[in-house]
Amino acid sequence: MALLQISEPGMSTAPHEHRLAAGIDLGTTNSLVASVRSGTAEVLEDENGQALLPSVVRYLENGDVIVGQQAKAAQLDDIENTIASVKRLMGRGISDLKTLGGNLPYTFAEGDMAVPQIKTVAGNVTAIEVSAEILKALKERAEKALGGELKGVVITVPAYFDDAQRQATKDAARLANLNVFRLLNEPTAAAVAYGLDQKEDLDERIIAVYDLGGGTFDISILKLNKGVFEVMATGGDSALGGDDFDHVIAEWILQQSGSQQSHHALAEARRVKEALSDNEQVDVQLEDWQGSISRNDFNQMVEPLVKKTLLACRRALRDAGLNKNQVHDVVMVGGSTRMPVVREKVGDFFGKPPLVDIDPDKVVAIGAALQADVLAGNKPDEEMLLLDVIPLSLGLETYGGLVEKVIARNTTIPITRAQEFTTFKDNQTAMTIHLLQGERETVEENRSLAKFSLKGIPPMVAGAARIKVTFKVDADGLLTVEAEEQTTGVKAGVEVKPSYGLTDNEIEGMIRESMENAQADMEARKLREQKVEADRTLEALDSAMAADADKILSPDEVATLQKAAAQLQHIKESSDNADEVKAAIKNMEKAAEFYVARRMDDNVKTAMAGHNVSDFSDTTE
Amino acid sequence: MLDFNQNYFEIFGLPEKFDIDKAALEKRFRELQAQYHPDRFINGDDAEKRLALQTTGFINEAHETLLSSRLRARYLLKLKGVDLDDETDTTHDGAFLMHQMEIREALEDVKNATDPLARIDDIAQEISGEADALKDDFIEKLEAGNLDAAKEDVLKMKFYERLCQESKQLTEKLEDELF
Repeated sequence: MALLQISEPGMSTAPHEHRLAAGIDLGTTNSLVASVRSGTAEVLEDENGQALLPSVVRYLENGDVIVGQQAKAAQLDDIENTIASVKRLMGRGISDLKTLGGNLPYTFAEGDMAVPQIKTVAGNVTAIEVSAEILKALKERAEKALGGELKGVVITVPAYFDDAQRQATKDAARLANLNVFRLLNEPTAAAVAYGLDQKEDLDERIIAVYDLGGGTFDISILKLNKGVFEVMATGGDSALGGDDFDHVIAEWILQQSGSQQSHHALAEARRVKEALSDNEQVDVQLEDWQGSISRNDFNQMVEPLVKKTLLACRRALRDAGLNKNQVHDVVMVGGSTRMPVVREKVGDFFGKPPLVDIDPDKVVAIGAALQADVLAGNKPDEEMLLLDVIPLSLGLETYGGLVEKVIARNTTIPITRAQEFTTFKDNQTAMTIHLLQGERETVEENRSLAKFSLKGIPPMVAGAARIKVTFKVDADGLLTVEAEEQTTGVKAGVEVKPSYGLTDNEIEGMIRESMENAQADMEARKLREQKVEADRTLEALDSAMAADADKILSPDEVATLQKAAAQLQHIKESSDNADEVKAAIKNMEKAAEFYVARRMDDNVKTAMAGHNVSDFSDTTE
Repeated sequence: MLDFNQNYFEIFGLPEKFDIDKAALEKRFRELQAQYHPDRFINGDDAEKRLALQTTGFINEAHETLLSSRLRARYLLKLKGVDLDDETDTTHDGAFLMHQMEIREALEDVKNATDPLARIDDIAQEISGEADALKDDFIEKLEAGNLDAAKEDVLKMKFYERLCQESKQLTEKLEDELF
């Protein structure tokens, strides 16, 4: 045993103290939470043994929020208040709504927030708040299963997520009161889950992670060298997933059956798709129409979708400067990779069978849990280090609506880069800087991240001011920007207005509101408890009086007691204040004290049978 | 703590010249990351976290600079006291600019070719050949101490960098359309 514990900087935890940490896969269709317990990462299940929490949140009129399977079951009946696939809205602006499939069943509220607000019976909610509800449910599940408070979590995001989407995810975690160790790209987590970093047969591995989820497709090319992961390239399609496969079959069913029941067709399509993974031929049914579909028919129908994913694979390989036979491992992620046609075509494309041993729904959460365990400091000897790249270029608007790139995509993060700008008018004291993210040339084709107003530039002739704008991207891929006028050393004031995110004030407001709601919930519970207590007290008095009032009480005394009881009854019915009800109970008990005392006398002992002294003692605790 | 006064070549233990040992650069890069990355300081105090962020930001910037031939060339000039401004400095070589326009026109014409993909591959090859020649010329000028001419080459490299990007984007677009 070591006599001296030499701790690394930042690893200053006491030895053997296990810090509770979890990995969260916040998915479009389903979400999961996993944790490392006794050395192995496992997905944590709910009380019904379910690992997958449907990413569906239902808002009820009384303010209650239902998350998961129960919410999903109510989706068809209460579609306006039941929010599904909210991940697609994360970090998106109101102007994006049209391009997001166009068939969102929700009503959006008009508001001055930069992010869309969905109208529900319980009030307006943003995607961030909906995601926070999912995270809260997972947090609760984890803390119950692990028996303590989580010190921190690793939350996975698609490699393709831009700054606004990553920020929105972190904001949701903040609302859910979770400490985020790191946002981790989903494909990186999957590679970690397969322990590819522990293999030592090759100096350098190239790993392709093919992630076809419910709503998104990501392809990532990773390079792994001595425990260090690098993301060499990412690509994909943020609006292509298993749902699209369902839609293809659903359309076929509707066409074949002549029915208009698109919701039912979609449900049937999903069932058929899943059944075809294990069967060559499956019967299809919709209302009174009956048909049949073979795996071959299905494969042909969805081939364009699979091809689309392979095209993105090609492009990612090219970005990485590799050809497909240089790839050592292909990792399959996402429930949609269970489809035999997907496994087959991906295997053909890379010329090797893909890795499918770990449940493709759980693999990301498992990898995130492993990383969370390392980051929590539970494995001080662990060498694993994940290096990420920025998925999309960051740039600024320049003359003529063009974009000047400041940090190119696939640049390793964290990174700090400064660029200088100047004024173009004499005595110009303010300047607007428009931050954009994306690969295209014009402003309209890229994602607007924020607009900066630079104020307080000292008056100078045009071109004399030197404004240094510094971009800082942290290890989570989140951007902060600072600006300074160089010649005079004046630090120009910067106002940030995120184009698609929530401002810090809005987040603070939501946290405050949720705390107020929690407070209101507590008040309501206390009131309910006191009213129940009042009922119990009144009943006890009633039954006691029914038993012996005529024997030991004078008519005046009966009237006094009845009056006290009526008063309590009245307050119980009319008050919405728990303390008031509690006081009324006390008053009645006080009024009944003489009666209780008299009943204690020997000659009324028999009448006491069935009653407990505590019925008339302080029952309000 | 990493010494921020070192130049980018010193950080990676590489000799100060244009041709670099990329394997050595990558190896040293990973060693530095393993040592300084913010993930190593998750449980550290704020000062440690900030320093980790600054240090890896610096390492990554140095790495990016040495990886790109144009940025590396520009950095070598900077070490020799020649600074250039991407916004205002540009080449005034008329013949060179004419040639650039010709290549651009050729790129625009690709869509009319009988086999656009083959045509774009040809042009891309031409572009990378010329870019390589420019690098050789830069090395020669730099070693001869002809810094003004070397600077001119770096300015021209930017044009080739743009052309490479554009031909790549065009290839992607053509492939998308063919699908």
